[in-house]
Amino acid sequence: MRKAITSALFTVLFAFGAMFAYAEDLNLTIPLPLTGTQAKFGEIQKRSYEIAAAEINAKGGIKGKTLVLKFEDSGAKPEVARGIVEKLIDVQKQPIIIGEYTSACAKAVAAVSEERKTPYMVVVSGADDITQQNYKYVFRLNSPNANYADGLLGFMQAVVKPKTMAILHESSDFGTSGADEMAKHAEALGIKVLLKEKYEKGAVDFKPVLTKVKSLRPDVVYMVSYVMDAALLMRQIKELRLDANLFAGGAAGFAIPEFVDNAKDASEYVVTSTLWSPQVKYKGSKEYAEKYKKMYGDYPSYHGAAAYAALFVAKDALERAKAWTPEDIRAAMKATKMQTAFGNVQFVDKNGYQNQNFIPTLALQVIKGNHETIWPKTMASAKYLYPMPKWRQRK
Amino acid sequence: MKKFYPLITLAVLLVLPLLGFSTYVMHIFILLLMWATIGMSWNLLSGYCGQVSFGHAAFFGIGAYTAGILYSKAGASPWLGLPLSVFVVGVFAFIIGLIVLRLRGPFFALATLASGEVFRVSAENMDWLTNGTLGIMLQKRLWVSKEPYYYIILAIAVATFLLMKYLISSKLGYFFVAIREDQDAADSLGINTTLYKTIALVVSGMITGVAGAFYMNYMGYIDPHIVFALHDVSIITIMIVMVGGVATQWGPFVGAVIMVMLQEAVRSIGSLGALHQAIFGLLLIFIIIFLPNGIVGDFGKIKRFFGLGRVRA
Repeated sequence: MRKAITSALFTVLFAFGAMFAYAEDLNLTIPLPLTGTQAKFGEIQKRSYEIAAAEINAKGGIKGKTLVLKFEDSGAKPEVARGIVEKLIDVQKQPIIIGEYTSACAKAVAAVSEERKTPYMVVVSGADDITQQNYKYVFRLNSPNANYADGLLGFMQAVVKPKTMAILHESSDFGTSGADEMAKHAEALGIKVLLKEKYEKGAVDFKPVLTKVKSLRPDVVYMVSYVMDAALLMRQIKELRLDANLFAGGAAGFAIPEFVDNAKDASEYVVTSTLWSPQVKYKGSKEYAEKYKKMYGDYPSYHGAAAYAALFVAKDALERAKAWTPEDIRAAMKATKMQTAFGNVQFVDKNGYQNQNFIPTLALQVIKGNHETIWPKTMASAKYLYPMPKWRQRK
Repeated sequence: MKKFYPLITLAVLLVLPLLGFSTYVMHIFILLLMWATIGMSWNLLSGYCGQVSFGHAAFFGIGAYTAGILYSKAGASPWLGLPLSVFVVGVFAFIIGLIVLRLRGPFFALATLASGEVFRVSAENMDWLTNGTLGIMLQKRLWVSKEPYYYIILAIAVATFLLMKYLISSKLGYFFVAIREDQDAADSLGINTTLYKTIALVVSGMITGVAGAFYMNYMGYIDPHIVFALHDVSIITIMIVMVGGVATQWGPFVGAVIMVMLQEAVRSIGSLGALHQAIFGLLLIFIIIFLPNGIVGDFGKIKRFFGLGRVRA
């Protein structure tokens, strides 16, 4: 009997022990959704982390150590993400956690990191409250969801001047908080929100809700969605000949090249907010974008740029930290002030956020099948096309 | 020898945290025990009583939200959700039972599936109560270390195991099996089938609800997509019991070992990349084809053929 128990225990130990190896290298494991509905975003980020790591290693690594990246698939499930991070902190003794994508997973990871006092850099998770919890060890590289639409709102105020708006959003943390913020901003600007409705994420038929939107005749239709829904929405808007002065998207699904690929000509003229575009003039961003396109055939979205920049921010903090202890790294992170391909990075406590980096958000428009930066004007790569033709006037 | 198995397992589980495992391994053990508990509760309703439920996420979610709402709206400790969820889920399970237990076979399965979805959509839209899709987040969990959580879920799992053992060997257990084998025959023997099916559903729901409340306390964040998930809760529950062994005492436990531990182990093999799900899926298909009664149910077969061999119906 004892033999049976011992062998059972050994099996368990083996299963978990076999995955870890130690070397002189700096091992950094990044949790990402690599399977499931969020896999597209995970893939863009994974590639970008790899590009950044290759660049860092070509220049001598971090404090002479070669950076070795590994990825673990969380499948966008919070308890799996939590498990991965527990492993990173406790077993691999990784001094800093980077990554995850969906807000639900980022919240789970943030909670672990704070409890275990290990710095965690949120890279592209939008939900506002991640950095509103008075967490000391959680840093966020991307602007919070509340600021996502700033560039878009600027464009709307200056050019479109809408009076009414309809908001559609997917039923997720990201979708809801994005829609709520947009409604708040719109009301403040005197734009009447005629409709704010959520739909099931991953739905295939939006016609009932779009018919409702059509009957209300809003000036602007604003949508917050991940990738497939964004393309489907625009295609069905086209099929229904739903006309508005402006179709606008709240980043994520509207801001990646797959949106244009999937929605085809229905994506023309669609404006979306974004945190970054390949045309921005931050130092190194163009080089990164071109390198990515050369390797993978498409320009990356802001998700990739954030991931790319995140590794440099981590490198910078690790190099400045006196020792690679959580406390010192946290202090170094807090003192971060650098230029990256994703903009200037500085983690500040402001407007109820802690350790939050703020970067200007942009508006993109799909012009002839490409995402072009149209707003703010100082960063524009093309002149915006407005007003846009009605569906029946398009060929 | 055989009757000592529960005690030996319990002793091993009791000393596990003292062996100095990392928090990661402890996290896996905690999830394992949680899923074993849910599996046992599903096994009562679907394994013994024959009412195959595709909607256990409803009970799991209601339990989790009981704890979450206590915290977010009443400012109370979410731990109170554990005892309270027994009551709340019991009431909801009774109401669901009134509707779905009128149906049989596949219609029952579909009705439970729908009830899970109904609760998810409700939770998404009742913003004033559930905070909608933004979910409920605990500012701070009670403990950082894993041991308290481990012993709490272990206590729940052991209590569930004993309760199941008691129920199945009691008169109720025979009624359940009679209903599973032939409801009409059971009826004609004078068994009040509606009553006993309701009892099975309510008890099963309560236990799943407690596990849900535990999840809230342990994970610290819930939203409707997480706790009312069709695939990640309802289907996983079914898989745990199917793989482990339907209508067996140890089946849910063994199933949870496979579905939680083995899945995590397969997922952690770095070289597989995104392929891990396919590999794990193949493994499940393999188990279900060759061991239709689950690992525990077909243990004799495993012994004889060591996992490879002819299938005897």
